[in-house]
Amino acid sequence: MNLRVEGVSFRYPSGVLALDGIDLAIPSGQLLAILGENGAGKTTLVKLFNGLLRPSQGKVYIGDWDSAEHTTAALARRVGFLFQNPDDQLFERTLAREVGYGPRNLGASEAEVKRRVARALKLVGLHDMAEAHPYDLPQPQRKLLALAATIAMDTPILVLDEPTIGQDEVGRGAISRILTDLHRMGRTLIMISHDMDFCAEHAQRMLVMLNGKIHVEGTTEDVMGQTKKLDEAEVAPPQLVRLAQALKMPGTPLTVDDFVDEYKQWRKKKKSK
Amino acid sequence: MIELKKFSYWYPGTEQPALDRVSLSIAEGEFIGIVGANGAGKSTLCYALSGFVPHFYNGETEGQHTFNGQDMASLDLGQLAGQVGLVFQNPFNQISGARFTVREEIAFGLENLGLPQSEMRARIDEALELVNIQDLAERSPFSVSGGQQQRIAIASILAMQPRVLVLDEPTSQLDPDGTRDMFTALNKLVSTRKITVILAEHKLEWLATFCDRVIALGGGKLRAEGSPQAVLSSEQMLRLGVGRTQYSEAAARLLRTKQLPVTLEQAKKALK
Amino acid sequence: MRGGSIYIERSSGLHWLHPLTKVALTALCFASAAALPGLPWLLALFVGLLLPLAIWGRLTGAFLKACLLVVGPFVLSLTIIQGFFSGGETVLFKLGRFAFTQEGLLAGLTFAARLLVALGGTLLLMQSTPQPHLMQALTERGFPPRIAYVVLTAIQIFPSFQDRAQVIMDAQQARGLELQSGLLNRARLLLPMVGPLILGSVMDVSERAMALEARAFSSPARKTSLNTLADSLLQRAVRWLLALAAAALLLWRLWSALQ
Ligand SMILES: Nc1ncnc2c1ncn2[C@@H]1O[C@H](COP(=O)(O)OP(=O)(O)OP(=O)(O)O)[C@@H](O)[C@H]1O
Ligand SMILES: [Mg+2]
Repeated sequence: MNLRVEGVSFRYPSGVLALDGIDLAIPSGQLLAILGENGAGKTTLVKLFNGLLRPSQGKVYIGDWDSAEHTTAALARRVGFLFQNPDDQLFERTLAREVGYGPRNLGASEAEVKRRVARALKLVGLHDMAEAHPYDLPQPQRKLLALAATIAMDTPILVLDEPTIGQDEVGRGAISRILTDLHRMGRTLIMISHDMDFCAEHAQRMLVMLNGKIHVEGTTEDVMGQTKKLDEAEVAPPQLVRLAQALKMPGTPLTVDDFVDEYKQWRKKKKSK
Repeated sequence: MIELKKFSYWYPGTEQPALDRVSLSIAEGEFIGIVGANGAGKSTLCYALSGFVPHFYNGETEGQHTFNGQDMASLDLGQLAGQVGLVFQNPFNQISGARFTVREEIAFGLENLGLPQSEMRARIDEALELVNIQDLAERSPFSVSGGQQQRIAIASILAMQPRVLVLDEPTSQLDPDGTRDMFTALNKLVSTRKITVILAEHKLEWLATFCDRVIALGGGKLRAEGSPQAVLSSEQMLRLGVGRTQYSEAAARLLRTKQLPVTLEQAKKALK
Repeated sequence: MRGGSIYIERSSGLHWLHPLTKVALTALCFASAAALPGLPWLLALFVGLLLPLAIWGRLTGAFLKACLLVVGPFVLSLTIIQGFFSGGETVLFKLGRFAFTQEGLLAGLTFAARLLVALGGTLLLMQSTPQPHLMQALTERGFPPRIAYVVLTAIQIFPSFQDRAQVIMDAQQARGLELQSGLLNRARLLLPMVGPLILGSVMDVSERAMALEARAFSSPARKTSLNTLADSLLQRAVRWLLALAAAALLLWRLWSALQ
């Protein structure tokens, strides 16, 4: 499902202008990363997608719905949301009930709820703990649980606010697999992250925000190559891109595989010269 | 300065020790990184090094645990507070809420230490600048973004100028530039003021660039200890679920060296 | 906004007064509420003192609204209960066997007016004083800081509960919980709201307690303050006068009761 933002501005009641004239179209099935320094307006932007915040100006369309005409609960059928702070969303007695809460609200049958819970918990690797209490888990695991709860809603669009925070290699691996799976299933995925290496490896497109405005937008390779623009937005490119730049190698390698290939070619060319 | 000798710790009502016979000696002026998978014991070690274990958490301990040669259990948190600072993992709960503005929030710890006003003002301005949030000084510490709140939490402890600074994943919500700036600032404090910094992190590149020594934990045990390059480039990091920097991963595929690069500088040199 | 409070920021003379001056004023209100003999006196105090102070503090609207919200329900229930059940001669109307008397009505209104004066004074203090400044003023006079912090967070807990409730409500809606009006729906909301609210605050308490320790809360040092609270000789004098007036009122009341 696609998503459109037209001429949107947002001001918090305290007076902070957090979004300033945003135009944006996210086609169906895209995996988009939103980047930008702290306080750039990323979280504020995505909260418009499920109506938690309403634009002070402009329109947000979710598929063919004008978001202004729907409640957040209705929008939840189309947009699943992982909060930056997982503790904002957890409240049930067990992991299984927690994950089942969303699907139940959306009217899924008991059998269906069960199936989705099992699958979602398995995906994040918490299936052994289905009957444990959410607050028995340490914070990084609670984030994974919240992710499972979001996935179980089976929405065509998913918004993930900082999914890899505090995760070790195992957690990042799990999230990476989940993203790949969901992407293959044709979901529209929007993730906010400061984890540049992770974004470079997974995102198709990137959007860099600065002071409530869109600073750059484009394919991942294109955006990661725009050193000057990134610098202005105080966003550092990922390790491999920085290494390629330091070596004065052409191209913007996004994965280790890319880097290895490009490096070999570059060496060969250098030698033949 | 801080010493653990075969130190074990059990949280109340648990069978498995969260720290299992850890021996560790930390000298003044060191910049130490702690790595480990989730649940490996990083936070618990941070609590132990700052005295929250055993002073805040009950539970069983075994082995030796000293601070400046004194038994940690014989000191109390009130005495330690001015000397050891701890920044917690979760920024959302570190705001005391006892004050209105960010400036007053940072002042809270200083008021408790009984500092005179002029000194407080100077320290607050310095701390705001160190974490780059001068423009938030008069805002409410609750209505800011996640990363901004984490900066406030760090500034609140930095202003107290502890001799030992323990930070448990202090950059989780920070943007990449903010993370680098934070490490640079800490490094500067270590070299100019000779304070000791101990930092648990998943962001290996910055640990590798700035730390003097890295400690790897796994299942509550100390698994590796040494220079950042020696520890972080080893295959053991993959088994421990810590992972490696992409510099190491790329170099592993391209080079046959004894020690893989772990920082940008090292990688550049190795691949030139 | 999380961590908000009843305090309303304005630049006014009332806001600028030393917190203890306002505390003394509140004390006088409590003494008056207990000691003044009848409805006219109480209303006179409200209209003649509290209202002008609220106007001075540029809080008129907020003050009256809060009074209405807090005292309104009491006025209603007290007059009904007293009107029907405290007896009296002058029957105003009857509902079945129960008679509603004028004496009862008066007694109910008087009681409500006592509440109005006491709570009005408190509201004025709270709306014009940032709670941290109030606590600072008290701790500077030797009030134990630990208790001050507990009181402070207790006062702030209601608004911060509200903010937290908002955050959680957002999350539940984002997971498909329909927030329609209607009593049944509201009731259905309760569990998913209260759960994380309480859990969250219990979790918060231990984490917060730890975070407080990290900020040297139990340091043996004598605490200082970033901001000096402005005070003056005149205010000190006024404080003493207010306190004396309050004491006098109470004594007078006691004396006339003993007579
Ligand atoms: N509840 C709030 N009330 C008032 N202002 C707010 C609130 N939340 C955020 N802001 C402000 O709005 C701006 C954008 O904040 P937002 O949370 O969208 O940033 P972000 O890009 O998500 O940052 P981070 O990477 O730190 O999470 C910032 O200036 C921030 O201080
Ligand atoms: Mg954010």
